[in-house]
Amino acid sequence: MQNSVAMFDLFSSIPFAPLAELEVGQHFYWHIGNFKVHGQVFLASWVVLGLLIVTCILATRNIQRVPSGLQNFMEYALEFIRDLTKTQVGEKEYRAWVPLIGTLFLFIFMSNWGGALIPWKLVELPSGELAAPTNDINTTVALALITSVAYFYAGLSRKGLGYFADYAQPTPIMVPFKIIEDFTKPLSLSFRLFGNILADELVVAVLVFLVPLFVPIPLMILGLFTSAIQALIFATLAASYIGEAMEDHHGEHHD
Amino acid sequence: MLYALVPTLLAAEAEGGLFDLDATLPLMAAQFLILALILNAVLYKPLGQAIDQRADYIRGKQLDAQERLDKVKALTADYERALADARRQSQSIVADAQAEAQKLAAQAVAEAQRQAQAEREAAQQEIDNQRQSAMAALDGQVAALSRQIATKLLGFELG
Repeated sequence: MQNSVAMFDLFSSIPFAPLAELEVGQHFYWHIGNFKVHGQVFLASWVVLGLLIVTCILATRNIQRVPSGLQNFMEYALEFIRDLTKTQVGEKEYRAWVPLIGTLFLFIFMSNWGGALIPWKLVELPSGELAAPTNDINTTVALALITSVAYFYAGLSRKGLGYFADYAQPTPIMVPFKIIEDFTKPLSLSFRLFGNILADELVVAVLVFLVPLFVPIPLMILGLFTSAIQALIFATLAASYIGEAMEDHHGEHHD
Repeated sequence: MLYALVPTLLAAEAEGGLFDLDATLPLMAAQFLILALILNAVLYKPLGQAIDQRADYIRGKQLDAQERLDKVKALTADYERALADARRQSQSIVADAQAEAQKLAAQAVAEAQRQAQAEREAAQQEIDNQRQSAMAALDGQVAALSRQIATKLLGFELG
């Protein structure tokens, strides 16, 4: 840690330092009653939400049998999401889960890309800065908890309390591991997304801070790539957890 | 500035920090669920329906086309069979006609030969008759001449 302090001190002594600014862990607080919320996260997420909803409305405003333009593109996206859900959840049950998995994918994808592509720096906030909504731990934990609730719901609604009996499959030794898994799943989901997006934005910011022109561009492109991959990973894992929860462990002799 | 990063990263201040969980979490969750509902209404449902309907439409059209193709194939087979029948029939008609014509020709030839035969026989008859009558006439004349010759030689009349 001492090293990193020295490194950052070195950075700050470079003459063109004011060109780039980096703020981490500073938030633009709104007070709602007794609660505090991170205003910058909501502002950015509303932009993302608005973009998403407007795009979808434009795409489905005038649905044609022979698709073209935006409708075609969104159909491609929807087919992609359907395929993803179908492979993870299974042919029989997947349709009910498309909205959740699809929204997870679209929201995370749009947040990540929005964070990288929209010039947020143009907007000055009193504190903190606008960035991808997914680089706030609250957002990713919220999404991860929703995923957890979803797969518990999937398992319980399908098997009743027998879902917990499956924790002892194939041997009772598995029970503690399965219970730990229920905690590690949302933890890993949220921290993976949060860490990747934050680290990506930090790396780009530090590089922009060091060499303002051109050099950060390859890293930005890499950032776009990892952002897309993170969205895909989150959606795929959520779908696979749901599929796993609904899976029939007793196998063939059941039906 | 960048060095503002270090204290916030290392030591959590009274307010803020990287892992600052607060009311943002439930509100974000609620917002996400609302987004899911909205997208369900404006994206998944209408577009999913459109995709499914299109799939149904294409399947229906394909079945229809397959049916028509089968029908066309059956019709073609029918027509080909009818064509083959007609060809066979026409061939048999031609063969019949040829046979008939040959028979007629043979008949005509036979008739003509018979007629010629008959005419020749009639002519032969005529020739024979005429020869006999000529012979008879000659016989008469020979007798009369012999009688005259004998009368002249003998000087009197015989008989």
